[in-house]
Amino acid sequence: MKKRLLALALALGLTVSLAACSGGAGTASTPAPETAAPETAAPETAAAGSDVAYVQDKGTLVVGMTDFAPMDYKDESGAWIGFDADMAKAFAADLGVEVEFLEINWDNKLMELEAKGIDCVWNGMTLTDEVKSGASTSEPYCNNGQVVVLPADKAEDYQSVESLSGLNFAVENGSAGAEQLDALGLSYVAKQTQADALLEVASGASDACVIDLLMAGAMIGEGTSYPELTYTVQLNSEEYGVAFRKGSDLTDAFNAFWKEACDAGTVLETATAYGVQESIIEK
Amino acid sequence: MLTTVTLTLLEGLVTTLELFVLTLVFALPLGLIISFGSMSRFAPLRGFVKTVVWIIRGTPLMLQILVIFYGPGLLFGLPLLPRFTAALASFVINYACYFSEIYRGGIQAVPRGQYEAGQVLGMTRSQIFFKITLLQVVKRIVPPMSNEFITLVKDTALVRIISVYEIIWMGESFIKKGMIWPLFYTAVFYLAVNGILTLLFGWVEKKLDYFK
Repeated sequence: MKKRLLALALALGLTVSLAACSGGAGTASTPAPETAAPETAAPETAAAGSDVAYVQDKGTLVVGMTDFAPMDYKDESGAWIGFDADMAKAFAADLGVEVEFLEINWDNKLMELEAKGIDCVWNGMTLTDEVKSGASTSEPYCNNGQVVVLPADKAEDYQSVESLSGLNFAVENGSAGAEQLDALGLSYVAKQTQADALLEVASGASDACVIDLLMAGAMIGEGTSYPELTYTVQLNSEEYGVAFRKGSDLTDAFNAFWKEACDAGTVLETATAYGVQESIIEK
Repeated sequence: MLTTVTLTLLEGLVTTLELFVLTLVFALPLGLIISFGSMSRFAPLRGFVKTVVWIIRGTPLMLQILVIFYGPGLLFGLPLLPRFTAALASFVINYACYFSEIYRGGIQAVPRGQYEAGQVLGMTRSQIFFKITLLQVVKRIVPPMSNEFITLVKDTALVRIISVYEIIWMGESFIKKGMIWPLFYTAVFYLAVNGILTLLFGWVEKKLDYFK
């Protein structure tokens, strides 16, 4: 962390000196073109640290996420739906603000939060030590585990952890699955996303991959994009949570919201609609 | 299916091309100004400009994009620039530095006699630059510039690090739907754009062929 800050400080010094340089050039230092590119809402900083006030001030809750069925994905019309997406809409309504979904580069999620590019990470995110130390996390709301996915015709031979040693794995870089493989001392190819890891197996480039149980349930097996794959060993159990900025009061607001939504039955109803009712944690 | 994919990729291509064109609009003049700085007879200015050029050319563009977008928020709690603007600013600064060296090479390659001839005719320094030197510089820098233009088209792919949805991002998004070919299909679009650029530069070179 310290090192990262130092590096940033140095790099920023560089930018400042540049700004000074290009300032003389007039036009170039302040280009503000109209563009259709995604923009983060960037209003003045909210008063004295209340993140809830900050979000309500600007009127939007920016949810950082990725395309990750069944938690967040697009329906036919291109609108975001899914268990997480629908609950995020409800949470934003509870705060009295609009919700804005922003697809982010998952590797940068903590940086996005801290720099206020987004207001929360809500995307079937496993509560790893990295996330817990880098952000303020909600109470867990969903159970999950890491499972081994391989072609259905080979599944019989790999039903135990011990049998996995000869396989070539693919796994999402820095994910909970990668942590499990590291702990088992198994080598793997690191991919950008879980979907990329699945593709490795489907194409035969890797023998097996490790992904989230919830995703495996929704994306592989009969009637899905990957009918020829199946999952066998579950390596661990873990929990999903929502991440907010360090010290943010949105975390408490979320926990209170979740409890109310459980009491009202909204959580169970939404979960049932997306087939994840077995996994949710009711408060 | 091919139509859906093509339309989605074209959406990304628009962002790619916007970034490409706007970078050139701002970086080409800025580069010229920087090149004057690096040739200045005032030593402190020259040293400063050369240091900046060294830093910008010596660090990865990807890092510069991250610093310009996340830096203000992470270090000072300032509001962030819109994503596209931050990407554009990084590209303008980066490419202006490369362009400045190409301009410098072009300007310094004009024979001394050309300046002297201008002086003999009683022209001022700026008259000499605009009426005698500039066209010769343009002719000389066309080949290295065509390299930079083509590299710029492909470098735009870097901005997906801060979630600007350019064409590669759009191509990758299909992987989640189990389709890997759209990612490779993006190559067709890059090739088309760079094909047009290559023809354009060939034509410009021919046009400038009438003097040595």
